[in-house]
Amino acid sequence: MGKVQLSQEGVVFALAVAMFAVFAVSLNNFLTAGNLIALVRSVSILGILGLGMGLVVIGRGIDLAMVATMVVSLSWVLSLAQSGTPFDTALAYGFLLTIAIGLASGILIAYADIPAIFTTLAMGLVIYGSGRAFLFEIDVQNSPTGVEWFDFLGRGLLFGLPMPIAAFAVLAALIALLLLRTRFGRFVYAAGDNPLAARITGLPLRPLIVVQYVVSSLIAFLAGIVMAAAVSGMSTRVYNSTMIYDVLLVVVLGGISLSGGRGGVRNVLVGTLLVGVLLNGMTILDITYTTQNLIKSLILLLAIMVDSFINPRDEQTSQQSQGDI
Amino acid sequence: MTPLVQLRGVSKDFRGVQAISNVDFEIRPGEIHAILGENGAGKSTLMKVLAGVYQPSSGEMLLDGQPVTLNSPSDALNRGIAMVFQETNLVPSMSVAQNIYLGDEKLFNRLRGLNIQAQRYLLSLNFYVDPTAQVSFLGAGKKQLVEIARAVHHNARLIIFDEPTATLTPEEKFHFFNLARRLKEEGIAIIFISHALEEALHLADRITVMRDAKVVVTDETSKFDRERIVQAMVGRSLSSELYSGQARVARPMGRKILSVENLSMGNTVRNTSFSVFAGQVTGLFGLVGAGRTETMKIVAGVLKRDYFHGGTVRFEGRPVRYRTPRPAVRDGIVYVTEDRKIEGFFETMTIAGNIQLGHLAKGNNLLTPVVPRQGRELAVEWTKRLGVKAIDADARVIELSGGNQQKVVLAKALIQKPKLVILDEPTRGVDVGTIVEIHNFINELADSGMAVVVISSYLPEIKTLSDRILVARQGRIVEEMDIDEATESRIMYAAVH
Repeated sequence: MGKVQLSQEGVVFALAVAMFAVFAVSLNNFLTAGNLIALVRSVSILGILGLGMGLVVIGRGIDLAMVATMVVSLSWVLSLAQSGTPFDTALAYGFLLTIAIGLASGILIAYADIPAIFTTLAMGLVIYGSGRAFLFEIDVQNSPTGVEWFDFLGRGLLFGLPMPIAAFAVLAALIALLLLRTRFGRFVYAAGDNPLAARITGLPLRPLIVVQYVVSSLIAFLAGIVMAAAVSGMSTRVYNSTMIYDVLLVVVLGGISLSGGRGGVRNVLVGTLLVGVLLNGMTILDITYTTQNLIKSLILLLAIMVDSFINPRDEQTSQQSQGDI
Repeated sequence: MTPLVQLRGVSKDFRGVQAISNVDFEIRPGEIHAILGENGAGKSTLMKVLAGVYQPSSGEMLLDGQPVTLNSPSDALNRGIAMVFQETNLVPSMSVAQNIYLGDEKLFNRLRGLNIQAQRYLLSLNFYVDPTAQVSFLGAGKKQLVEIARAVHHNARLIIFDEPTATLTPEEKFHFFNLARRLKEEGIAIIFISHALEEALHLADRITVMRDAKVVVTDETSKFDRERIVQAMVGRSLSSELYSGQARVARPMGRKILSVENLSMGNTVRNTSFSVFAGQVTGLFGLVGAGRTETMKIVAGVLKRDYFHGGTVRFEGRPVRYRTPRPAVRDGIVYVTEDRKIEGFFETMTIAGNIQLGHLAKGNNLLTPVVPRQGRELAVEWTKRLGVKAIDADARVIELSGGNQQKVVLAKALIQKPKLVILDEPTRGVDVGTIVEIHNFINELADSGMAVVVISSYLPEIKTLSDRILVARQGRIVEEMDIDEATESRIMYAAVH
């Protein structure tokens, strides 16, 4: 099975490069510095969210509440800052809120055994609803001015790279380290591969699930900070967009299997690259928003089909393909 | 007489591994045919080829003398070949009647009519099963009856059974034998895979023995005796060497490490009490359904807490009640599953990854750095100790043979340095050579002072390994004996009722 996955990753990468080349040759505005920076900027948020989603999916879960978490926590932070709370304090509140959200999802999934997909779907609605009802009032919150590091995060350059991209790169490296070189990472892979075996081996399965959702929530918070810095604010329209599906597209297209235990940060990078080029190219081509969504959804469907073909979720069927002698 | 089904030079391989190779085989109308052979000899694959589950890689199949290709199990069923699998294929949430007529309901399906029809039909077969009963509430024997009823309803002329008696009580077995003979009288041919030689000798008209993916011999049952079958199965006298049955000196009892008092859980574990001592192998024998696995799973915290109904478990004198395996593992109780594919190993991981995980699981800090090189070293050390045959520690576990997979699962458990290790059917699905190695290893563990519990349904294995034998029956330990006072008949007498 290893070979197949490798080629899926390779194919996606090749596709991204090919598409990049085609767009670069055929589209006038594609290969301009401005566009490329816009591309990486928009994509870096998606990539950061994809890192969190990827981690949870490797652990055989899914977090559909990420975008809601991002929007609500940052909207609240910004509205607090607008009404006079020091920005750092507001950020600390947001941090605590996202941890609470992650804990709530994680505990429901781990201890109440509710399927992750339903828990986080509902949790997303609850978060957004409570946010609108109790935490902030207007749709668009502006970023505070005069916070130096925050402005730098949005518009600064690090070694010539726009900061959002640098943030994505740093976080990707951190998550890769976490997944590959810590006990936590090994546990996530093990629990995603075979939860029953993980339990018998003595892994703290339930706490592990909770931690995963706390991490994905925090990553959503981080993505929110980067986004708010880059576009100088946070709009609730982001929640109503198709962003969460774009994140899933990044993860699944990159080759992280929804059946758990397979894939890694590399897959998120490749997926982000392809989705980024695709979205940017379609926008320059002036394809309407609706058509773009249709194309994205078809690709998502295709990617999920390929995934469940290569990595069947059902243990019994996956065993049968091994052929018991 | 034309054979009902005939295979000529049939082979089937999975990714280059020959599961059956160049097999010639025939089944006559209305005969009872037993297939014998060790685990991994290719019996199941052969049956699945006959039943259309697998398509042969080469060779041809004749049905009534005509070449035929079976594309699926339903294709086979339409041509009169039905297979009753070890795990039943019934829909648990449906009634018996619904299951029998599954797939050919009328458009307007009246349940009452269906039940009456099923009742008549079941009575005509002399099956005493309530057609309105939900299948999930039936015992293994009744489920089998329903499967057979379904097969006969589809006008099967050949019914294939994969270990039909493995999950049956002695009484149900008796019924099954009668049933098989009755089906035979109606002209239905029967093939059954079995591990019990007596059953084959008792029931079958002809016996086929398989070994190493090939048919070794097919002959009339009257020309076989136990000796000849065993010879054909192993092809060498390894079996007698493995299970010599000669008296051996029992290791002395060490300190009492585990004591279980009045443990209960629903109908499967009933008020059972026993002790396990360090420095010995304690064999836990019982027929299927005796509650052996469940009892030990409670001890090791593998079952969920909801199933625990009372009693005391003392580990090293301290009362414990584990709700998950983790605290048990950390205290030094490790359970090695009987079903390594489902809850044993991690298939996406390498040998090293699997073994290292056992090591990592004992620790607490989630952010501890993991050094892959360390994992490899551990893996190399353990694969050497256990003699895992693999190209290197980076091979994927899923690519290994059953025996080597079992060794990896063992290594993953033993790296946790348990004081008490519970091995549930440690040699299931393992080739003969590896069985010897695993047995030697188990002996080493006991010699080193560990308390070892071996759960096995195979008497010779229990007798070869154990210093002390516990016999379970209907959810409790009914007899305890030292190896020097144990005889096969005494153990078996305690296990059946």
